[in-house]
Amino acid sequence: MEDRPLEYDYTIAKLFMYSTIVLGIVGMLVGVILAWEMAFPAVNTMLGEGLAEYTNFSRLRPLHTDAVIFGFTLSGIWATWYYVGQRVLKVSMAESPFLMFLGKLHFTLYMVGVVLIVGSLLMGITTSKEYAEFEWPIDIAIVIIWVIWGMGLFGLIGIRREKSLYISIWYYIATFLGIAMLYIFNNLAIPTYFASDGIGAWYHSVSMYSGTNDAIVQWWYGHNAVAFGFTVPIVAMIYYFLPKESGQAVYSYKLSILSFWGLMFVYIWAGGHHLLFSTVPDWMQTMGSVFSIVLILPSWGSAINMLLTMKGEWQQVAESPLIKFMILASTFYLFSTLEGPIQAIKSVNALAHFTDWIVGHVHDGVLGWVAFMIMAALFHMAPRVFKRKIYSKSLMNTQFWIQTLGVILYFTSMWIAGITQGMMWRAHDEFGNLAYSFIDTVTVLHPYYTIRAVGGTLYLVGMFIFAYNMFKTMTSSERVDESELQNATPMGA
Amino acid sequence: MFHWLEKNPFFFAVAVFLTIAFAGLVEILPNFAQQSQPTVGTKPYSTLELAGRHVYIKNSCNACHSQLVRPFKAETDRYGHYSMSGEYAYDRPFLWGSKRTGPDLMRVGNYRTTDWHENHMKDPAGVVPGSIMPAYRWMFTNLADIDTAYAEQITVKNVFAVPYNKPLPMKDGSKEVVKLADSLSGAHASALAEAKLVVADMNDKNVKEMVNNGQIPEIVAIIAYMNSLK
Amino acid sequence: MNKLVLWGIIITAAMLGFTYLAVGLTKGGLGGDIVNQLAVAGAVVLVLVTVYVVIGYVRQMQEETASGTLADETWDGIGEYKNELPMGWAIIFLGSTIWAIWYFLVGYPVNAYSQIGEYNEAVTEHNSKYEAKFENIKNDPEQLNAMGESVFIANCKVCHGLEADGIGGKAADLNHRLDAKAVEFAINNGSSKLGGYPMGVMPAGMAQGKDVTEIADFVAGGMTSNKGRAAYEMACASCHGSDGSGMGGMAPNIKVFTPMLIGKVLDHGKKGGIGIMPSFEHSLNATQKLAVETYIVNISKGAN
Ligand code: HEC
Ligand code: HEC
Ligand code: HEC
Ligand code: HEM
Ligand code: HEM
Ligand SMILES: [Ca+2]
Ligand SMILES: [Ca+2]
Ligand SMILES: [Cu+2]
Repeated sequence: MEDRPLEYDYTIAKLFMYSTIVLGIVGMLVGVILAWEMAFPAVNTMLGEGLAEYTNFSRLRPLHTDAVIFGFTLSGIWATWYYVGQRVLKVSMAESPFLMFLGKLHFTLYMVGVVLIVGSLLMGITTSKEYAEFEWPIDIAIVIIWVIWGMGLFGLIGIRREKSLYISIWYYIATFLGIAMLYIFNNLAIPTYFASDGIGAWYHSVSMYSGTNDAIVQWWYGHNAVAFGFTVPIVAMIYYFLPKESGQAVYSYKLSILSFWGLMFVYIWAGGHHLLFSTVPDWMQTMGSVFSIVLILPSWGSAINMLLTMKGEWQQVAESPLIKFMILASTFYLFSTLEGPIQAIKSVNALAHFTDWIVGHVHDGVLGWVAFMIMAALFHMAPRVFKRKIYSKSLMNTQFWIQTLGVILYFTSMWIAGITQGMMWRAHDEFGNLAYSFIDTVTVLHPYYTIRAVGGTLYLVGMFIFAYNMFKTMTSSERVDESELQNATPMGA
Repeated sequence: MFHWLEKNPFFFAVAVFLTIAFAGLVEILPNFAQQSQPTVGTKPYSTLELAGRHVYIKNSCNACHSQLVRPFKAETDRYGHYSMSGEYAYDRPFLWGSKRTGPDLMRVGNYRTTDWHENHMKDPAGVVPGSIMPAYRWMFTNLADIDTAYAEQITVKNVFAVPYNKPLPMKDGSKEVVKLADSLSGAHASALAEAKLVVADMNDKNVKEMVNNGQIPEIVAIIAYMNSLK
Repeated sequence: MNKLVLWGIIITAAMLGFTYLAVGLTKGGLGGDIVNQLAVAGAVVLVLVTVYVVIGYVRQMQEETASGTLADETWDGIGEYKNELPMGWAIIFLGSTIWAIWYFLVGYPVNAYSQIGEYNEAVTEHNSKYEAKFENIKNDPEQLNAMGESVFIANCKVCHGLEADGIGGKAADLNHRLDAKAVEFAINNGSSKLGGYPMGVMPAGMAQGKDVTEIADFVAGGMTSNKGRAAYEMACASCHGSDGSGMGGMAPNIKVFTPMLIGKVLDHGKKGGIGIMPSFEHSLNATQKLAVETYIVNISKGAN
């Protein structure tokens, strides 16, 4: 093995860093619009009656979820993969023209996919299945993109110098396999145009599954899209970026192993918790609940491993905004992976399901954990990719506090909203009649929706600060020397 | 063993895949084995209803509305009988939703009426003060896509043996047949006939005129769909 | 005390406070509903456990130092300790796994629990409780009126409005028996949907020309003026009676709301000039119907 540090090639990582930032802002901007629309419905027609078809809540909502999942999060996953992969496998993309070609093809096709998705969702072309809204032509494109990534992933692993795979690689592999399996099966559908000899819209399709079966497949997918999109690859990131940034060794190999295989084994079974009290057989629901409880442990395993990696390093937490992002991310990971299982208990779900408490759970996970971790990763990568210091440490600090406040406002308001709503739906009055008509349970939520919208707006402001800081870092910040790039990220004022 | 796996990416990947695929099979297969049988009274959608269902999906009404009545007293008081698996036998995709920003619509056909929907879709807050549902005014001019609905009917009939043109048992002991036209123009004609029945209870002059001219705006289709939810 | 710990306590206190408020502001509060109690307990546990655990790890960051033997390998400079599993974590993991197996195989094996069975029990219990409680409500007009209001708020308010004024003409104004438009509509189109009056249905066109408006104004005006009275007597009184009371239930009372009329509207719905009202035949029980009939009769009296 050679001693000379490798010259890693970050061309593809850079491209995905740009798309992470842009799509993050787009997706969250749409989220903020949604939040204001729920607080003040007049926002639905903000661009006039004529455009209301495209700006109203229901048309925009899938655009938000898909932009943040398939845009922001996926870009972040790939940006970090094209960075972390080379480094822990000790092999440079530059060594293989074929892998470079695949990488470029990957990004190009992905951009085409993004445009198709945005366009089709705005036009209302959707299959309605959550997080799998796209019609079959886009599904096929996604599968192709995924396979190209997989070829690159295993290709890079194939030419690695580091014999055994680092923990992060385990998680990237699992991400690839998990999503591939889930996505294909959930999206099986029959294009009606071809099955009817050419009648109607060419892109329309009808699901292979009906009713209850369709629901089971959808939430087998939906729950594990969370698992293999919002958890597994993000854990891949923290296992690399936290030890690397802090210079600390990972706390326990055994804990890494057990959490990984535990997570792999337990996650899939838990999908039934999205279908509690539905027409799915009782035992399947019970299975979903029970496995959700067990799931706390493998989830917490990774978070604990990371927190313990920082044992004795409080100084660093206090000093470095970058480490703060990651510690808070672990904390929110703990929080949402305890909240989820609690919401998966049948009696709790009876109240929580369909309410804003679920939306609160979603966002303490995605804002506090996923997005924080992705941004931390980008902050760590930027100086090494662009060979410049982070433009401003104080902006980073400001961003951290603004966004933390944003998340807290978001999930506390939705927590209260959800519990209030759930209790009002269930309430009977002294006569044994329903105590509230539905609209009463909508109007009480107005203050909470407003608070959430403010919280979301703060988070978005943080995103702009982030983008600005990154932009400055890429273009005009102070240059750094290779030797300064060991552990802690060099930062400007 | 783990160390060995970590040095052999291929077997590592196989191990991961088997772990997740195994659980997936247990989670999914059992219910597929017992094909869900439609309950008595459940019918496939007519062309117009299906076109309305497409409008519902196109506008992601399922983002705010569930179609799943859970077996709780409060829920059956509010929405009617709890949902049963067989009632969804013809639902592709299912539309249970996961968020109730607005009320459940599983049985809305029982307690809301055509003219109410008309007013409500035009201006929800005008009918239900405090409503945060957006207005869907463009549905009064956009045309429903009857062709695609018909294409879907043919598809599900041929591929999934959905029983169009067959007598189906109803709750009152009678039999009903949902006809599937044998040509596209036939489908248009039957959708229009159905649309006329809906429009008879509507007030919007423009919509009435469009239907008179043989056009079917989205609002008519979606109301036909909502009226069919019982 | 350290800043993070302080934050933790503030957040916990705030969340629990808000939760308390949310519960307190909802009618009935936890109200003996096990679902409410468990959900709120879950929320409380969630905050407490997370905050407490995180504070524990923060302590370790502040007070302890990293230790253990390092593995031989490093990846991009990242090392790995060969530390043992955290004991608490390992024990709980094992325990929860055993619990899950037990729960699934022994505690609640495949068909041991039925959510529909549970529902049926809950409904029976609910119904018998309230049936017993309001066994004699028929004889208690005040209670009946209060129950009627409760039914009205949950079921009728969406269309008729909180004030029962019909929300600007979207549904019937229930404070007044009939407005002129409704009467005109009945005269011009007849009436057949209410169903079940001994007189059968009312044919269309019982009056023509300017009589129609005159009769309509007369009926809507409370049948007190002189204008229109003659025409009314001619065309309508044979069924509705000269006082509009419907001759003891042969036809609807068109002067004031009666329980009978409202009951028929509830059972059959109503299709009129304003629009269509759905039927409530199966969604309200007999007591609820009686109660809401009483309530509407009362508010319409109050308003006149
Ligand atoms: C932003 C959320 C939102 C969206 C999107 C939305 N709704 Fe609603 N909907 C509501 C709320 C809140 C209510 C309750 C207040 C009211 O009746 O307006 C409601 C009520 C309704 C009702 C009355 C049901 C009842 O039991 O009173 C119907 C029917 C309805 N919506 C249909 C639709 C259809 C069809 C669409 C899509 C084209 C749609 N909604 C989209 C929020 C929404
Ligand atoms: C042949 C007997 C008959 C005559 C004559 C008659 N009605 Fe009626 N009317 C009825 C019956 C029976 C009903 C209830 C029918 C149903 O809807 O089931 C009714 C219903 C009505 C209603 C609807 C009540 C409601 O709340 O919806 C109005 C208003 C009314 N009549 C007014 C009149 C007026 C005004 C006239 C004279 C121009 C008139 N009726 C003449 C028998 C008659
Ligand atoms: C979906 C909307 C809707 C709901 C819910 C509704 N109504 Fe109505 N109701 C109407 C409409 C519309 C009319 C007017 C029909 C017409 O005359 O054109 C009406 C008419 C009536 C009338 C007849 C008034 C008359 O003068 O003949 C009564 C009585 C009434 N409603 C009572 C109730 C009660 C009690 C409830 C609740 C249990 C209720 N309504 C719920 C829409 C509704
Ligand atoms: C132990 C881990 C977890 C469990 C057991 C769990 C459980 C749950 C439950 C019970 C629901 C509500 C289902 C419903 O009633 O509608 C839910 C919803 C959701 N959770 Fe989690 N959760 C976990 C972790 C996470 C994490 C870490 C994230 C994201 C970072 C996340 C994202 C979501 C999302 C997006 C939904 C909404 C799904 C929908 O659209 O309905 N979850 N989860
Ligand atoms: C500025 C920040 C954000 C705001 C203001 C925001 C706002 C919203 C709103 C208003 C909804 C709809 C809730 C409802 O229907 O009641 C929503 C849903 C959702 N958002 Fe966000 N969002 C933000 C960021 C994100 C991010 C970064 C992600 C993921 C990485 C995300 C993932 C989701 C998901 C998965 C849902 C669907 C939840 C469900 O169906 O239960 N959001 N968001
Ligand atoms: Ca799809
Ligand atoms: Ca959802
Ligand atoms: Cu889940």
